[in-house]
Amino acid sequence: MLKVFLEFLKTLWPEFYKHRKNVHLDSFFTFTNYQYLWFMSIFVLALTALSPIGIATLIYYQLIETSVDSDLNHRTKQLTTAAKSAVTFFMEERLNALTFTVNENGYEQLEDNTRLSEILKNLKLGFGGVTDLSVLDAEGNQVAYAGPFNLEGKNYKNQSWFEQSIKKMNYISEVFTGYRDVPHIIIAVRSAKTDGSFFILRATLDTERLMQTLSSYKTGDYADIFLVNHEGVLQTPAMHYGAIFTPTNLIFPTDSDETEVREITIKGKSIISGHSFISRDLTSTPFVLMVLKEKAGMLKFWQDMSFKFNWIMGAIVIVIIIVITFASTFMVNKLYHADKAKAETMMQMEQSQQLASIGQLAAGVAHEINNPLAVINQTAGYMKDLFTYKDQARNDDELAEYIDSILDAVDRCGTITRQLLGFVRQFDVKIKKVNLQKLIFQVLSFHKKEAEYRRIHVTVSIPEPFPELETDSSKLQQVLVNLINNAFQAVQEGSCLDIIATQTNPDAIELVIHDTGCGIPEENLKKIHEPFFSTKKNGSGTGLGLSITYGLVKKLGGRISVQSTEGVGTSFTIILPIKINEGRTA
Amino acid sequence: MKILLVDDEQKFINMLAKRLALRGIEAHVAYTGEDALKKAGDTVYDVAVLDIKMPGISGVQLKKELSPLHPNMQFIFVTGHGGIEKSEDGSSEKDIYLSKPLDIEFLIETIEDLTHTG
Repeated sequence: MLKVFLEFLKTLWPEFYKHRKNVHLDSFFTFTNYQYLWFMSIFVLALTALSPIGIATLIYYQLIETSVDSDLNHRTKQLTTAAKSAVTFFMEERLNALTFTVNENGYEQLEDNTRLSEILKNLKLGFGGVTDLSVLDAEGNQVAYAGPFNLEGKNYKNQSWFEQSIKKMNYISEVFTGYRDVPHIIIAVRSAKTDGSFFILRATLDTERLMQTLSSYKTGDYADIFLVNHEGVLQTPAMHYGAIFTPTNLIFPTDSDETEVREITIKGKSIISGHSFISRDLTSTPFVLMVLKEKAGMLKFWQDMSFKFNWIMGAIVIVIIIVITFASTFMVNKLYHADKAKAETMMQMEQSQQLASIGQLAAGVAHEINNPLAVINQTAGYMKDLFTYKDQARNDDELAEYIDSILDAVDRCGTITRQLLGFVRQFDVKIKKVNLQKLIFQVLSFHKKEAEYRRIHVTVSIPEPFPELETDSSKLQQVLVNLINNAFQAVQEGSCLDIIATQTNPDAIELVIHDTGCGIPEENLKKIHEPFFSTKKNGSGTGLGLSITYGLVKKLGGRISVQSTEGVGTSFTIILPIKINEGRTA
Repeated sequence: MKILLVDDEQKFINMLAKRLALRGIEAHVAYTGEDALKKAGDTVYDVAVLDIKMPGISGVQLKKELSPLHPNMQFIFVTGHGGIEKSEDGSSEKDIYLSKPLDIEFLIETIEDLTHTG
């Protein structure tokens, strides 16, 4: 399973990564560094595709943050102001009720405990939250009392609320526990007696009602609403600070009636804080209304959305990168293949141009040799004629023999140059009928002398009748030249070279060139058709012969295979179609 | 029978002329096309052996100029350029091409064939 997967990966791995350096071929490539090209392609495409997304996302986040921030501030301010109004109203209502009671009843009636109890009952009914009522004289003595606690006869002269109350027309205290040990607020109203002195009507409010009023404005888990005094001591319990009377570090710069919104940090949490001093027209209160909103909590909706948004963005980015990578790999691979094919073609063109120019050179040389050969021929011929026709040395057989050998040599040279010329001329010939036997003998004629010197036994076995091939004769000729040359180089003196042609089926022939030469080592067999592979030392071979041969056989629509045993010999087998398919020669 | 040999390769045709003379054939030599035209103006030749590649007037051109003057004159082309085959530049198919180096016996046979004296 793993193996299959690895094989699959291998096919994905771009071919330009497997490119091996080839000094001859590389010079024909348009691009040299495909890894770099590939990397740059991915990088530039990714940058172009992703940067707008990145910028848009950043702008989006900034807009969201700004709008959420201002929205949050605005809402906090609204809430603070609304809650402040409610608390102010709560205080004012009770203070006004008390003022009304004092004005309506006068000291004489209020002094009466029964009357006072009645009034307390009415106040409780009308407003609620009033725990008890008491009347105090200017000395701080409790004159009358109505309520659940029996505090009659107590003197409050030294209590701070009393001191404050006598200074002003009316007074609202902080929350405190006092004698009764229950948090409460005192509201006091001063009024004149008929004798010119004054008395005080005091009401105690339980904080329960106030807290209910406050909590009715509380919205959500992340918001808190509570009261503190001007020194920052809690007047009602608060989520972040704890129970009532806990001091806080909340400091308020100005004593302004306006609602102010700030951003503060509590225990590392970013919090939007709104505060407003609670005062009223008649008297000031020691209370500051606080609204705290945990920013993170309020932003939770946006954060959840951003989180989803980030996931989607991430997925899109990954998809884009994958697509870009695949597309780039595909394109660069195609480019590499095209470039490689171009380079190979150019290299082949260069080689064939070299071959063609060698052919032209050979033709010129042959032509130039023929003229002096003709002169030698005629001169030697004339010398012989002199002996033959003019009696000058009619019987000098030795001289005649020398001249004959000159003429013979000229003859042989002439044959060779004629063959060479005939051979070269075929370079331009395209597809035509080819007599394989003739072609083989033509090629072998170049090695006739070599075969004789080295006693190489050459046999050609072609059955009669043998079909004429319709093929590109120059390519076939080149194949034969290459293979026969190779065979001659491989064989020792006294070896055999057999060329056997057979018709294997109506459409194809098989040609075997077998030698009893040195053979090819097994490790080299796989490489012999690769360009520039050569075992010849000192650069005596280009390493192109067999690779060109393989290419040519392929162009002729055939196949070539090789069997070789080191030290025993080598057989090249070529299968060729009798009639070449012209489309394939292009 | 008179033969005109035209070739810029002087030694070649001199020798050839001498050898033909030994075999009873009268051969005159011309080293250029102009010389050949001049000689053909003076003498009537049965056969002209022309080198194809010559400086100035080429063998093929020379034949075109000689044929109207001597309608009965036969032509043999000699070339250092390959085997015996037809020329590609429009000369008539009857022309005979021999390649260098030249075998004198074969030349004489060809001449005799052309003049029907064989």
